[in-house]
Amino acid sequence: MAVETAMKGARKARPRKTVPMIDWLTRWSFMMPAIVILLAVLAYPILYTLEISFSSLDLGSFTANEWVGWENYGDVLKDRGFWNAMKVTGIYLAWAMPIQMILGFGIAYLINAEWKGRGVVRALFLIPMVVAPVVAGGIWRMMLDPLWGLVNYLLGLLGLGNPDWLGNPTLAMATLVIIDTWRWTPFVVLIATAALMALPKDVFEAADIDGANWWTKLWSITVPLLVPIIAATFVVRWLGAVKMFDIALAATRGGPGDATNVINLYIYEQAFRSLRFAESAAMAVIVLVMTMMLTGLFLIGTRKLEDNY
Amino acid sequence: MKIRIHELLAGAALAGALSFGLSAHAEGLGTPDDPVEIHMLANEAFANQWQQNMVPEFNKAYPNIKVVIDGVPYSELLAKSLLDATGPDPRYDILIADDPWVPQLAEAGVLLDLKGDEVAGWTADDYEWDDFYAAPLAASEWKDVQYGVPLRSNLLLMFVNKSIYEAADLPAPTPELTWEDYLEQAPKLVMDRDGNGQADTWAIDTYFTRDALTPTIWQTIMNSNGGKLLTDDGKAAFNDETGVEALKTHIKLLDFAPPGAVSHGFNESLQAFRQGQTATMFMWGSVFKGTAVSPETTTLTPDEVGIQIMPVGSKTGGAHRGIWSGTINNKSENRQAAWALLEWLSSKEGEQWHANTLGVFPARKSTLDSTPDSEWMAPVFVALKNGYSVAGEGGMWRPRTPKSDAVQQVLADEVARAIAGQITPEEALDTAADRVNDVLN
Repeated sequence: MAVETAMKGARKARPRKTVPMIDWLTRWSFMMPAIVILLAVLAYPILYTLEISFSSLDLGSFTANEWVGWENYGDVLKDRGFWNAMKVTGIYLAWAMPIQMILGFGIAYLINAEWKGRGVVRALFLIPMVVAPVVAGGIWRMMLDPLWGLVNYLLGLLGLGNPDWLGNPTLAMATLVIIDTWRWTPFVVLIATAALMALPKDVFEAADIDGANWWTKLWSITVPLLVPIIAATFVVRWLGAVKMFDIALAATRGGPGDATNVINLYIYEQAFRSLRFAESAAMAVIVLVMTMMLTGLFLIGTRKLEDNY
Repeated sequence: MKIRIHELLAGAALAGALSFGLSAHAEGLGTPDDPVEIHMLANEAFANQWQQNMVPEFNKAYPNIKVVIDGVPYSELLAKSLLDATGPDPRYDILIADDPWVPQLAEAGVLLDLKGDEVAGWTADDYEWDDFYAAPLAASEWKDVQYGVPLRSNLLLMFVNKSIYEAADLPAPTPELTWEDYLEQAPKLVMDRDGNGQADTWAIDTYFTRDALTPTIWQTIMNSNGGKLLTDDGKAAFNDETGVEALKTHIKLLDFAPPGAVSHGFNESLQAFRQGQTATMFMWGSVFKGTAVSPETTTLTPDEVGIQIMPVGSKTGGAHRGIWSGTINNKSENRQAAWALLEWLSSKEGEQWHANTLGVFPARKSTLDSTPDSEWMAPVFVALKNGYSVAGEGGMWRPRTPKSDAVQQVLADEVARAIAGQITPEEALDTAADRVNDVLN
């Protein structure tokens, strides 16, 4: 206590020095290239999107030529396609995120034991992640086609019928979730494996001495220790999943009907096919704000979980 | 012989003027010491073919014009064309525009009038505009100004596998085939030919998936029954009984299509037909060579593949127009060289070379009346001539408006919802009409 008081006193007693101007300039000059690059690649596109979302865009000059206030936002909020795309995205996220998290951490837990060839299996897990999403979507589209696809051929051998994966609205959504899960679960597995390997061994040794069984160790030690990692992985995957559109574009093209028309695909179509750039910018801003708000909520939740465990 | 001083001076002046003219002409088309380089933006589907085959042929006539062709995927081509052309320093002298894009590019003010005085001064006397069929030439016309020339013509046509019709004991279709005949025959074309108790041959495959080109099938049926996409004052006109019945017909085709056809588009229907699994296909005529002739891409032979206009409705047969036109950026510094390429490729000689060497479909009457070098092209020429006539008669093309792509996307959305069974054809077309009117307003 006495030492703490003395240290506080010493801190207070330290004379405040004014930073010389030359030092201040030097510091900022080092930071300036990074700031300029950051502004150019991050702030400018966002600000430009914001600007055209409040304007009508002149396709002749590709510039915002007239301030229209909230008109584009009003049009977007009245657009049935926009709300359908938001709903489709919500359904996709509600299925894909939990499946990927549970599968990812589950697989990591199962392959965490020491066994020969574990390194090779981990390396193989990387393959779906490095396949370009458009290629992955196209290959899955071929494999799932009821006429030529391998999947239905195998199902047929087992007498499981000939499901129309891409033509039935419910199955098409399932297809999207399956492809996205195939692609991104390995990412979760890799993070979870690293986290599992970093868990303190002495805690498990103590549990063994106390006679804890497999389930007790999982539920009372592993899961609580992994909660911060699970939460952080969830946020990272959430930010990736909410932007997904390439797989939908290649595999289902948003169909049948508009059953898999996720919001980013819808925005892309409105911008680059319908050339409605101003309305698309308004949609992008709405999605950005909603994503930021939800991400903020998830981060608060993550912090609370970290505090609780 | 006496030569007066003023005659000498006049002669010198004339010689000077001529040499200046020739020099200016040579500069525009390049010289051996100072060649011109022009850039073209085209669909990646044929950009490489042109760069490898067409440019060397062009350079035999114009050795001092270097041509660089950049290919871009179809879905990004219009946006990229607009972005480049409206920029302060455009890269591309020539823009290759799909059928519905010219109004949009023209309204953006970036296209050169190809019948204007400037281009007329560079155009050869024997370049016959009147030799083009009206329908393909009209694809690059907007508000009475000609902004382009047809370079790759295409039509939505009906492909027929004659072997399957024979196996079904049905007569091979003719251009007189009506929709009633077609739908009556369709159930008989769904067959189990290998006898395993399951159908392995179907009547039709075409665009059913959510795609901007899927509504062209419905629209062609509607047009051949006298329906229209838009009124003369630019309002939606398709949500009437004719439009609804046409959409019902399009949806009914699914009953005779392979399993999973609701998600089929260009690639899948092409694959099914080329593998001999479907008796007919409504598809762009340009795929004929790969479908009937080239053994590396098809199991079929020219003898067993027929090509003709789509079935006849209450008014006319059907053939939806799809023309790639060559246009010139009016900000280009190489306009003369750019026109030299377009003029050469769309001239009578250039078009015949293009058709006979690369199998590209022509738009000139003289070419279509000629005997093609390849025997397989003869029935294609007949189908094209019929197709241009009915397309022109029925207004069978995508909407002619600067907002064409937005309208087409609306139609794609709503037609796809009806085909997927999410809403009724009536609801789909009413919703589409409201949205189209919003877009056009």
